[in-house]
Amino acid sequence: MTDTGAIVRKGADQTPVVAYDNVRKQYGDFVALDGVSAHVNKGEVMCLIGPSGSGKSTALRCTNGLETVNGGRILLDGLPLPDAETEMRKIRQRMGMVFQNFELFPHKTAVENVALGPTTVLGMSKAKAAERAMALLDKVGLVTKANNFPSGLSGGQQQRVAIARALAMEPEVMLFDEPTSALDPETIGEVLSVMKRLADEGMTMIVVTHEMTFARRVANWVVVFDHGKVVEQGPPQQVFENPVAERTRDFLSHLGWNG
Amino acid sequence: MSLDWSVVWQHRGELLDGALLTVLLTVLTMLFAVPAGIVLALMRLSHSKPLSAASACFVEFFRNLPLILVVYWAFYVMPVAIGIEFSAFTTGLVALCLNVSAYNSETFRAGINSIRKGQMEAAIAVGMSRWQAMRQIIIPQAWRRVLPVLASTWVSLFKDTSLVSVIAVGELAHTALQIRSQTFRVLEMLTAMAAIYWLMGYPQAKLVDWIHRKFGVKE
Repeated sequence: MTDTGAIVRKGADQTPVVAYDNVRKQYGDFVALDGVSAHVNKGEVMCLIGPSGSGKSTALRCTNGLETVNGGRILLDGLPLPDAETEMRKIRQRMGMVFQNFELFPHKTAVENVALGPTTVLGMSKAKAAERAMALLDKVGLVTKANNFPSGLSGGQQQRVAIARALAMEPEVMLFDEPTSALDPETIGEVLSVMKRLADEGMTMIVVTHEMTFARRVANWVVVFDHGKVVEQGPPQQVFENPVAERTRDFLSHLGWNG
Repeated sequence: MSLDWSVVWQHRGELLDGALLTVLLTVLTMLFAVPAGIVLALMRLSHSKPLSAASACFVEFFRNLPLILVVYWAFYVMPVAIGIEFSAFTTGLVALCLNVSAYNSETFRAGINSIRKGQMEAAIAVGMSRWQAMRQIIIPQAWRRVLPVLASTWVSLFKDTSLVSVIAVGELAHTALQIRSQTFRVLEMLTAMAAIYWLMGYPQAKLVDWIHRKFGVKE
């Protein structure tokens, strides 16, 4: 790389896995997303950061169609998201989502939570799905808790099960919506380390987060939101150490971030 | 005033038959009205405007009419309106089903709405259809929450079946009142009727209490 600073992104030789192209989203008069453009390449971790209500979660929820956009496009592997619900359902199978409040199914055990997608959606046999679920619970370090109900798991454990549940559909991209915001401080680390491991294995990830240390360490690309707009995006070194936009500097200094 | 309680014992067979018919009416009504209530609730909550409106009309109609009026209506108007004449028992059953289905629909709707939105989103996010999510995720959780309410409805229904006595369905109330008018043993028969309803109702109410304790939402 020359010192003029041309940035070569990971996976830049391929079509981006997810691309936001001038995306707009409104709730009544409130503009939640105001012309957002960004993309994540294969194998990249893209962190969306910014103050609460800045639109980063909305952008994530639009990605798998939990919210519909009012303008612009979102592309998966270069193809715009379909309008028809049945088509969108197929798209969702290719994206895993992890929620702030875990949203495990409380009437199912950990292993049932993980196996439910494959059996219900993919029509996989119960035995095969359970096998896959156990392998994934092993991956997130919870194979001994397979038969626990969510109420018998700590927050961090629940979120790790939720990650395994999303992985069970073998998604191309994982969407994380503030995955550690509802956790006790002592369990945040176990969730972040599972996410770090996923990233190291080459999973494409979009992560809405307030964990700046995680974003700094793990992200390949950081997008800063404010008032529904992208105020700055770049590699973490740039965004955290040499931010261009004043809004980024304000935001980071409010968090006590000092490089 | 001389009381003659032997009249109760003499008519024990008829009273037992009446009591069995009361139980049968309750069971059959619930067997129909629980699935009907689920269907009406799902229609009401569906994105289809006509389905939702049809369900709302049905529910608001039958929920806001006195049950006894529905019973009379089913007896006098329904045969003329749809041209089919049912037995008194079936007519009474239809009236009870219409009323209780409307109530159950509201119970299920409240139960389904009480499951937080994130559960539906989590199910949809793994690629389930709304219907799959309803069946696998929402209804099983809502079921647990509405069980205590359904149990209360059951006990109310058990007593309300007495209203179909007005169209001469031979359940407990009608049987007891018939015996009363044949024997003129008013006090004895009304007391016996009260005792039988109470003895049958009390264990059910206790069962409801137990269900409330076991399944009630503890949050």
